Formats: sequence, C-alpha cells, structure tokens
Amino acid sequence: MSDTTAPRMRLTVTHELVLLIALFVSLAVLSVTAERFMSVGNLLNQGRLMTEVALVALPMTFIIITAGIDLSVGSMFGLSAIMLGVFWHNLGVPLPAAMALALVVGTAAGFFNGLLITRLRVPPLIMTLATLALYRGLAEGISQARSVRGYPEWFFVLGQGEVLGVPTQLWILVVAIIIFWIVLSRTTFGRSLYAIGHNETAARYSAIKVDRIKLIIYSLSGFMSGLAGVIFVSRVSTTRSDMGTGLELDVIAAVVLGGTSIFGGVGTIAGTVLGFTLIQLLKNGLALTGVKGDATIVVIGTVLILSILITNFLQHRRGGDG
Amino acid sequence: MLRTMTLALLAGVFAVPAMAQDRWDGADSLDTNPLACDGSAGEMAMKEYDGGQPAAMSDKMGQEITLIDVPKLVGIGYFAATTKGQAEAAAELGNVNVSTDGPTEANIDDQITFIDNYITQGVDGILFAANDPVAIAPVLKKALGEGIHVVGYDANSEPDAREWFVNQAEFNGIGKAMIDAMAEEIGADGSFAIVTSTFTTPNQARWIAEMQAYQAACHPNMKWLETVEAQEDNNLSFNQATTLINKYGDDLDGIFGMTSVATPASAEAVTQAGACGEIAVVGLATPNAMKPYVASDCVKSVVLWNPVDLGYAAVYVMRAVVDGKLKPGDKSVEAGKLGTLSVVNGSEILLGAPFIFTKDNINDFDF
Repeated sequence: MSDTTAPRMRLTVTHELVLLIALFVSLAVLSVTAERFMSVGNLLNQGRLMTEVALVALPMTFIIITAGIDLSVGSMFGLSAIMLGVFWHNLGVPLPAAMALALVVGTAAGFFNGLLITRLRVPPLIMTLATLALYRGLAEGISQARSVRGYPEWFFVLGQGEVLGVPTQLWILVVAIIIFWIVLSRTTFGRSLYAIGHNETAARYSAIKVDRIKLIIYSLSGFMSGLAGVIFVSRVSTTRSDMGTGLELDVIAAVVLGGTSIFGGVGTIAGTVLGFTLIQLLKNGLALTGVKGDATIVVIGTVLILSILITNFLQHRRGGDG
Repeated sequence: MLRTMTLALLAGVFAVPAMAQDRWDGADSLDTNPLACDGSAGEMAMKEYDGGQPAAMSDKMGQEITLIDVPKLVGIGYFAATTKGQAEAAAELGNVNVSTDGPTEANIDDQITFIDNYITQGVDGILFAANDPVAIAPVLKKALGEGIHVVGYDANSEPDAREWFVNQAEFNGIGKAMIDAMAEEIGADGSFAIVTSTFTTPNQARWIAEMQAYQAACHPNMKWLETVEAQEDNNLSFNQATTLINKYGDDLDGIFGMTSVATPASAEAVTQAGACGEIAVVGLATPNAMKPYVASDCVKSVVLWNPVDLGYAAVYVMRAVVDGKLKPGDKSVEAGKLGTLSVVNGSEILLGAPFIFTKDNINDFDF
C-alpha cells in the first residue's frame, strides 16, 4: 500500500504546486490590471459567490476519485431549492424544518443515484445523466414553474449576511473543507476511495465495502447539493425550478482543474480548493479588467486545457524516469 | 364507491374554471383594465413613486457618465436590438458611454455575478433586464447603496431595487392591439382561437385576460372558440394550430399566437393547410421569425414593441435621472426622438403603444 501511495502523493503535490503558482501569477497580474481586484471586500464577496459550486465540488472530488461521476448535482440542487419553497410556502412547514427537509430531499435523491449504481450496476455516467433530467423534471413539475418568494428576513443571514465580517456561507464552506480534507487524507474511508478508483475489483477482494462506500458518497453528493441549494435560495431570496442549471459543469471543471483524475485513484481536497478558487478569481479579475463575459469563458477553457496538458506532461516525464 | 369518487373528482375539476367568472381558458383571474375603444387615454390610477434611491447622490449633472447594460443574456437578436438603441441614444447625447455585457444564457446566478463585478469595478449607472424580479433585487440594492443609478427595461425587478423601469408595453395595451388587429382582418363577428404557452404562464395569462376584457367592451360580436396550450414548443405549436384548423374548418377565421414560438408555428400551419387569406394569424412574435409569412401575405400584422426604441429610452431615462430632470413624483420624461414619455404605476415609464410590424416596415428590423 505505502509503495503505491508514495509516488502518487509526490505527483499530486506537483500538480497542486502548478496550480498554486498559477493562482499567484493570476493574482499578481489581475491586481495590476484591475485596481479594484485586490481589496478585502471584493475577495470576500467572491468567496460568497463561489460557495455553492465549492460545496458541491467537495463530494464530487470523492466521487471522481472512485472513477465515478455525478452529473445530477445541478438538478438535485434545483429540486432541494424547490422543495424548500414547497414545504415552507405550500405546506406551511416552519422554515427551519423546511430547510432540514430540503436537505433530506437532496440526500434521498443522491441515495437513489447510489442505490441504482450499486444494485443495478448502472454506470454512474448513465445513471446520473438520467436523474439529471428526472430531478429537473420533478422540480419543474412540482413547482409548476412558479417561484416562491417572501422569505423572512432572518433567513437571508445565511446567504446575504456576515458573521464577524466574513460572509456566513464562507464559514460553512471552511468547516466543510476541513471535514472533507480530514476524511480523505486521514481516514480509512478516504484511503478506500483511492483503492476503489485504482482498481475496484482488487478493492472488493481486499474486503473494502465498495457498494456501501459508493452509496455513502453519492448520498453525500445529494446532501451537499441540497445544502448549496438552500444557501443559494437565501442568497437570491427566491426559489425557481431552473436553479442550478449547468452547475455540474462548473463543479466538474473545478475538480478536474484541481488535479483529480477522471480515471480515478488520484485527487486531493487541496487541489479542488485551488481549482474552484482559481476559476472564481479568474472570472472576477477578468471581468474587472474589462474582459467581456464570452471571452472570460474562453480563458477558463484555455486554463483548464493547459492545466491538464501540464499534468500529463509531468506524469509522462515521471513515467519516463521510473 | 369508485364511481362516486371519480364523479366528485371530475365535478371538482370542472367547477374550478367555472368559478373563474367564465374567463377564456388561459386567462388569469386578476382584475382587468381595458383601454378605451378609440384609444383615448383612460383614467390612469395615480400611484405614489415606489422605486428606490441611490444612497449618496453623485453629482454628475451634465458630465460624462459610464453605463453598463446587463440584459437577460447576450448573443440574441432581441437584446442586440436594445443595445443598438442604447448606442443611438448615447451618440445623440454625446456625454454617455454605454456598453453591454451579460451571461450567454438567461441564468439568474450569472446575471447577478455580472452586476456584482460591475459594482466593484465602479460605474455611474446600471441598466438591466432581469431574469428574475426577486433574485436580482439584492444585488441591485447593493448598487443603489454604493451610489450607482439603476434603471431597468424589458423585465422588471422589485420596484424598490431600482429607480425607474422602462415598460415596453402594458398588458391592456397589448390586449387592445391584438384584438384590434384581429378585428380588422376577420371582421366584427369573426371567430378565433388562441395558441398560448400554458394556461398558467403569467404574462400570457394576463394578456389573454386583457384581450377578453377589451373584446367584450369594444368588439362584442367576435367569438372565442378555444384556447390551446403548446408550451413554447415549435412542433407542439404547429400541431395544435393544425388541429384547430381541422377541428373548426370554415368556422375558424383567425388564430392568435401568444408566444414568439406559437405565432410563427401557427402561420406555418395555416400556410401548409393552404388557408392563407381564409384564416388570419395575429400574434406576438419577433420580426425575423415572421418575415417569410409577412412576405407571402399570409400574416398581415405582428404585434410587439420596438426593442431599439426600448434601449434608446432606457439611456435617455438614465441621463435624465443623473441630470436631476426625472425625480420621484414627476409625471413624464423627455426621451429624444420618442418625445415625451409618461410615468405609470408609480415608477415605470411607458414606452408607448405596442408596435405593429407590417409588410411595409418589417424589413427594417433584424431580431
């Protein structure tokens, strides 16, 4: 075990270093080109804006490390948001309970993904592509395309308020990052994820409860999507059935940029954190520099391709050395 | 037992529409306010100014200002047309810089982020067309809080999140334009059907309710046959229109298209049925989609507003706000070539009567 983990550790550190350098270069360039970029207010605000993608990227890292994928996160996000509105507004459930129920709905949606993936051996790509459509359809059907508004003032603290000068949701994100980082790097559960990603059959023969672990991480993905959905509702103060459309692409881009291999077995939480931070700061910095929205997307795409090329180059060279 | 339950259920289903004062299907049950038949200005219920105000009034009176326009999305003809109007107004005024930037998809989150970034960057004014009236409100209030002027057009936000909103057409104005255009084509006692998106889509439901109120008052002998739902789906709209043509045969004189998808699809259905000239099509649609049918004389009038004028008016309103010429409580504003525009609903500026695209003018537009 230690023999195989050692080079992997070194490799991912290398990719993270590349990202860290990219991050500092971007920060340096952007703070020169956009005078208002490097202010505490702007950076904290960017933290607020990226929290939803970031929260979902954490469990996505777990899933992609096992060589899986969850395309339905945006739909689970939207479904949880809608159910929050339905429970509170249409069914008269008290708002705190409705928030809890929205998380339950998200978790249940993720559990259903995991159940069919493990029991029926449906490939995660197919299964979550199906539920991407299914959950979005449910959200639209249940809400009848009507928005729920008029949430009480205290609810907005979550998405629009501050605690000790820092956006509320950023605290939640920091706690989540620490938990996910510890679980992945310091627990048997975390090591099992790598084992599954490297070789699922071998993991099964090593008495790792592969199905149970998968069930947990897909449910976790649903839970975190639900949490992000609730925070988003609080940030924009309304519920709509089209919320979170396209979220899966932003999330997967952040995770992949962070060095997590789509083939499984490789990836860290630190990489993912660098990934979503870099994307958010690039988007913001370019906008402040005066780059139009469509050009910004082109830059993000280019950065993604470059980072993968660099990683591949490093991997290749390492392969040549060994 | 089962039968009684089914009957009770059916009775319930049929009782609901019957309770809604015998409205046409697809109309909402809100109060209507039909315009006078001859188009004279009716009694306007005056409403207190209900917009918001920027925190610190920056004094840029007569000075050069930089505006950012964040439409619902960029890259479509409609908002390219509003951008064109904004550029025209800026060129006329000479002391306004305006540029358009926004999401490539009509996404509330992206739009909020765009506005947020421009607040940080620092502009004098923000023009917007909201993807969601409530979701956009916090970020607009933030802009007001930083002393940035905020004016909306095309799609409103909550009133207190912006100073003014340029309203392209009121519901009763569209209702009147639609019914008048249809009456002219099919006569005072013609029969018509409606193809809408869904019965509960807010704008369409409001328009249909206003059309009914205006028809009852001004063209009482016209006959409504049926309203059908077609989502905003091209194929479904075509099929629904074809079904109407086959179902009613000679009894059907005209079809209303309530969406920019339903109108061209209905025109196509009439064309393919070889019923051009026998069945009129009147509806809301963008000129590009309707050009073939207008050129072939199958469709005579397309109702919409002029988005170039809409963007033009938005810039003039913003300039007037900055110059202190449009203040809460004012009743009108000067808008260049459009003349004097009146204030309605407290803090909205009405662009004017809807624009009718006909064979004579439709080729002047590209959206």
